[in-house]
Amino acid sequence: MSTQTPTRDLPTRPSVRRPSRETVVTVMPTVVLVLLVVLLSLRNPDFLSTRSLLTVVDSAAPLMVLASGVTLVIICGGIDLSIAAQASLASVLLALWVPSLGAAAAIPVVAVTTLAGALQGVVHVAAKVPSFIVTLGGLALWSGLALVISGASTIPITDLDAIGWAFTKVAGFPSAVLVALAVVAVIAAVMRLTPYGRWVEAIGHAEGAARLSGVPVSGAKIAAFAASGACAGLAGVLLVARTYSGAPSLGSTLLLPAVAAVVVGGTAITGGHGGILKTVIGALIIVVLRVGLGLIGVGPGPESIFYGVLTVAAVALTIDRAKLAVLK
Amino acid sequence: MTGLPSTPVVSVEGLTKRFPGVTALDGMSFEIRPREVVGLIGENGAGKSTLLKTLVGLNQPDEGTIRVRGEAVNMRGVAEAAAAGIGMVFQEQSLVPNITVAENILLGAEGAGVRGGLYRWGRLAADVQVQLDKIGSDVAPTARTDTLTFAQRQMVEVAKVLAIEERTAAEPVVLLDEPTSVLERDEIDVLFAQVERLRQRASVVFVSHRLDEVLAVSDRVYVLRNGQVVAEVDPNVVDAGELHRLMIGRAAGGSHYHDEAQVDCSSDVRIAVKGLATDRCKELSFEIKAGEVVGVAGVQGSGREDLCRALFGAVPGVRGTVELDGQVVALDSPRAAVRAGIGFVPSERRTEGVVGAMSVAENLSMAHVDQVCRGPVLQKAEEGRLVQRWIDRLGIRTPSGRTAIGTLSGGNQQKVVLARWMVNEDLRLLILDHPTRGLDVGAKSEVYALIRDLAARGCAVLLLSDTLEETLALSHRVLVMKDGRIVRCLDAPRGDKPDPVAIMEEMV
Repeated sequence: MSTQTPTRDLPTRPSVRRPSRETVVTVMPTVVLVLLVVLLSLRNPDFLSTRSLLTVVDSAAPLMVLASGVTLVIICGGIDLSIAAQASLASVLLALWVPSLGAAAAIPVVAVTTLAGALQGVVHVAAKVPSFIVTLGGLALWSGLALVISGASTIPITDLDAIGWAFTKVAGFPSAVLVALAVVAVIAAVMRLTPYGRWVEAIGHAEGAARLSGVPVSGAKIAAFAASGACAGLAGVLLVARTYSGAPSLGSTLLLPAVAAVVVGGTAITGGHGGILKTVIGALIIVVLRVGLGLIGVGPGPESIFYGVLTVAAVALTIDRAKLAVLK
Repeated sequence: MTGLPSTPVVSVEGLTKRFPGVTALDGMSFEIRPREVVGLIGENGAGKSTLLKTLVGLNQPDEGTIRVRGEAVNMRGVAEAAAAGIGMVFQEQSLVPNITVAENILLGAEGAGVRGGLYRWGRLAADVQVQLDKIGSDVAPTARTDTLTFAQRQMVEVAKVLAIEERTAAEPVVLLDEPTSVLERDEIDVLFAQVERLRQRASVVFVSHRLDEVLAVSDRVYVLRNGQVVAEVDPNVVDAGELHRLMIGRAAGGSHYHDEAQVDCSSDVRIAVKGLATDRCKELSFEIKAGEVVGVAGVQGSGREDLCRALFGAVPGVRGTVELDGQVVALDSPRAAVRAGIGFVPSERRTEGVVGAMSVAENLSMAHVDQVCRGPVLQKAEEGRLVQRWIDRLGIRTPSGRTAIGTLSGGNQQKVVLARWMVNEDLRLLILDHPTRGLDVGAKSEVYALIRDLAARGCAVLLLSDTLEETLALSHRVLVMKDGRIVRCLDAPRGDKPDPVAIMEEMV
């Protein structure tokens, strides 16, 4: 209390032109991705070969599809914790249905998870239960369902031709990558070319303002959860194509990496700020990191330590604190 | 200011506080002397609340100094302000509802009331009784706070502020922020008696936008306008008209409200409300004609805010029927209301009016985005032209349509919100909930002109406003609401506006 006019010196505006936070959040993920690739190729020059890069992108496909769907929910300001469980359920259903339906089995499988996602959205909106709780319950429900249906065992697929389409190459590209790119392209198109993109953004930023402007808030949220379910189902199909079997815990390790991919890409967990292309970068970072950790001898067990730390750090950087009156 | 023996308790020099798009305090200077009641008066947006928040450390000033008993202070929160001897009775009360009065009054300053981490309830109650006695309150220290009436809780807040005295060994400064805004008439009298009592042991800053109250209790009055002190007056010699002119910066009435643009409305009923009821509104029935502006007067809690939201489908469980141009409309969601041709400008512009992080264009086209869509596909070029047309037409000052709306001034944000509804050629009813809140005088006048335009176009307007003067000036008719009911309906034709005092009496 003895300092002299302490308030006089407070700067009203930063005197040096620094890049805005927004710019940093947008550019950083790409910089990190490039750095990781450079570091990896320094250690192992083969990493930059086309074959090696395609393998990386191929293994990123299920994660990318999973993360793309949940991105919509997160931009709305919600979260979907059930995606990995839905992917597992999808893998079990696909393994069970391929013998009778063949390749077409993928269609009803994705339809089921889309409905599952929509159902979660309806409960969230109608019963006014936080999405965190609805989808946590969903996580238990869908994985329990997968366990029951599968008899708690892995179901191998003997008719390899039926799902061969998802694990082959088209014009030199792994088909899973093409599926992932198609998903990203469709979501990106809907977000940019239709009002839906600004609806979810407005809901994430200021739900009250969106509602009072006549934005169909409930419908848009349910659609986001349905899209998240659809993507989870598709990711499950891609996982089956990789392992030639369906299992009730096939996707369970993908939840944290998927959420990590979204937030590492720069989408704010508080909603509003974000985008599907950010998630693509985020998913690539996660996968390149996984390869890198393998190269320096870190096994798949301790990997999750990195995802945990990365997720918290990325949220700390991207979260919109203006929206948090209190932190809970 | 010379010739006074005592040094000021608080002196403020050149205080400036800027928020994005608005300078809330603009070089404000004044002082508070020992044992006096200082009145601060000004319209909404004059800087009253920002000033008080700065005085208790909730805002950090960008420039200027605050001296308490001669020493410059830099307060970073209410705890540090309390240590300096300044406490505030908040407009939105700051007591924790589910604990006792005693715990609230000494919250964070329990002193000898806590030993070894445990409450000593007897000591706590005794310490608190001392504070309550200072204001002669009969509230029991052991009462749970949420069982008290609003007025009682306000007294508990005053006692809480007075408890600062024990800690600083000096007479405190008590800031009262709009203390009468939610009190009944007889409770206000009790409050005034308390202010007299406080004068014996503290300095009081009394903030209100109600002229008569400030004149009644204050020793000196500062008039604030646009973040500056524009006058210091003696309440015993000043006349109300003069103060009013100082507050709004020019004589009341006149062309500010564009009175000449009030045209007679048609005789066609635009909207007929029959037996509308919500939790806070009881069986409301009224009509608005095409081109008519109907103002709703009422104090907080009269149910008028609820009426606005109910008509926009934003309140669940609404009973009664609403007919638009003779057809019954189901108003079960804001989206349904928008589709029926109803628009709503909410009072909380920053949280409910605009999406600050999104662009002017996105905010402007949000409600009627289908106008710039072909099928499901957004036509960005078409949207750009539409937005530019409205930016030009309403004179919205923005670098471009792609600018984030949160960076514009309040007045320009509000014009975008109005444009959001005006883009609908078939807008039938526009509900305005405090449309000029927080706007400067010039922006207010522009908003008034837009309301007149809309009415002249045949749109029905339901208007709620901060001041009775604004309500009367803009309306063709005024409904007076009290306790959820419409108690009066008065015609307010151009040049023959009803007497505000009479309406005020109906309101309270």
